Amino acid sequence: MALKFDYIASVLFLAVGVLFIIGSKHLESSSYGSAVGPDIFPLILGSGLVLLSIRLLYETFITKNQQGRKEKLQYKPFLIIFAATLVYILTLETIGYVITTFLFLFVCFQTMERSKMILSLIISACFSGLVYFLYVEVLKGTLPDWPIWF
Amino acid sequence: MSTLDYLFQGFGTALIWYNILFAFVGVLIGTAVGVLPGIGPMSGVALLIPVTASITGGLPPEHAATSAIILLAGVYYGAMYGGSTTSILLNTPGESSSVVTTLDGYQMAKKGRAGSALSIAAIGSFVAGIITLVALIALAKPLSAVALKFGPAEYFSLMLLGLGAVSGLAGKSVTKALIMTVLGLLLGTIGIDNVSGIARFTFDVPWLYQGIEFLTIAVGLFAVGEVFKTILEKEEEDNEIARINNLLPSKAELKESAGPIARGSLLGFFVGILPGAGATLASFFSYILEKKISKTPSKFGTGTIAGVAAPESANNAASGGAMIPLLTLGIPGSGTTAILMGALMMYNVQPGPLLFEDHPQVAWGLIASMFIGNIMLLILNLPLVKVFAKIIQTPKQFLIPMIIAISIFGVYAVQVSTYDLLLLLGCGLFGYFLNKNDYPIAPLVLGLVLGPMVENNLRRALTISNGDFSVFFTRPISLLFLIITFLWLIIPFLMKKRGKDVIINIEG
Repeated sequence: MALKFDYIASVLFLAVGVLFIIGSKHLESSSYGSAVGPDIFPLILGSGLVLLSIRLLYETFITKNQQGRKEKLQYKPFLIIFAATLVYILTLETIGYVITTFLFLFVCFQTMERSKMILSLIISACFSGLVYFLYVEVLKGTLPDWPIWF
Repeated sequence: MSTLDYLFQGFGTALIWYNILFAFVGVLIGTAVGVLPGIGPMSGVALLIPVTASITGGLPPEHAATSAIILLAGVYYGAMYGGSTTSILLNTPGESSSVVTTLDGYQMAKKGRAGSALSIAAIGSFVAGIITLVALIALAKPLSAVALKFGPAEYFSLMLLGLGAVSGLAGKSVTKALIMTVLGLLLGTIGIDNVSGIARFTFDVPWLYQGIEFLTIAVGLFAVGEVFKTILEKEEEDNEIARINNLLPSKAELKESAGPIARGSLLGFFVGILPGAGATLASFFSYILEKKISKTPSKFGTGTIAGVAAPESANNAASGGAMIPLLTLGIPGSGTTAILMGALMMYNVQPGPLLFEDHPQVAWGLIASMFIGNIMLLILNLPLVKVFAKIIQTPKQFLIPMIIAISIFGVYAVQVSTYDLLLLLGCGLFGYFLNKNDYPIAPLVLGLVLGPMVENNLRRALTISNGDFSVFFTRPISLLFLIITFLWLIIPFLMKKRGKDVIINIEG
């Protein structure tokens, strides 16, 4: 697993390095009154990244395939929480902070463990309400408030 | 003005009522962060930056910076106190610098001496904190005076040394650590170049013009990444918490641990100053040292008080020592100090030799508040240790989603942009995979924070020398730094080739 990841990662890092080199070639090479321009630093770094990725690829190549211990990963709760976070982020500005945070927390609490329904409801409501009140009313900060139809 | 005058002024700042409150909240949260496994000082500090930024919003800029850094530093050294609690009571280190404490601490708890182990750990941490602070005060002025004489070439090489040292010690593979460093530096080049004003690698996306925000990356990689890891690798743990009987150590125990505390503090302090070597290494070294000089080395591992006193003093001393390069040179030596530096820069306060001249209030206020914070921690930890031990029973069901919610709130409050939230989520995923495959994250954040400064000094040096790279090798101090960097990276590599074990720094 780790080795396979290292292969993919080293190739990706190599690509990133090459892209930065190409990108810095397109920048202006010198600024007024100076022999060194904005391109030199990314150019050096890009080249460094290319060399290091090649070294990582080589290291991965010579390392014998070790079978690591397999861990049981909890994909289902992770995917639900990840999706919930994504939905939360995307709807935050349209539906508003309090409602989205409340729903997000409640869904996640129940995904983590199917128990204590009422306590989950109370904690999610308190957290979203309290953060909103403290930040917007007391500290005068800005958070997306309520949806237009509210 | 003499150092003492500055220190008194610092106390004047630190003793303003809200600063006392900030220090208190900082050490309280720090202790909690130290107790909870899964949240280390790095994610704790990163999570709290946006929260403190919004709380201090009403104060004038310099006051806000002082108060914020007082709170954040409190989290940092408070975590060092808290880490020992779970190591001793549960055999589960709350953070990596308390791993060694489990060896003797848990054995002591098993024998019914948990109380004395905990109090010695707290007393040791307190003594170490005070010794470090005295050293910090003594060294701050002379060191920044030396650093003021550095030109851009010296600075560039010094930063290279810092980055190299952190990469060399950061993980199992130096190559991977270096890749992370370079990646961090590259991410730092995105946005408007502040010398020439040219937009670099922005692809005409307006959101990228201001550059990639360090806060988003740090919170994403550390806090969210750690949360994803906890969800994916769910473990059922129901260790029993050892009972705490007598809290006060006996006179014999105090006498026995005086030596280890003193040695641990000094060793920890010097290890802490070194870039790259943090609290984790310091605690390992001091444990090994105590075992070597002990008359009865066989006692170690069976519950001897020296095995708790030395590493706990050392990790706290190291966290204070790590403040020295940050405050005087402007070069963070570890992941957590890099995050502290990023926080200071958010307030437009540049750590470095000029900090003590330009912002004496920030620098001395912080130092004075560390005195107060350490006293608070001692008071908090001795009688309240039972309360803190309860924190570990916080159900993960509620803790984990709340950390995600706090991360999202924090990043949104500072950045007010959905793109940053998406980046945060992406970084969380990225951070999980990197961590799982032994790619250390601390060098990336360090690279991102130091990137613009490294580049500016490089370009200034090259502009002065008219594009001639030999300037870095002909100036003696710069050459010295480069040689040390080179040795730092090459020696562990050679030692590994010879089949020797190299102790690495897991905390970063």
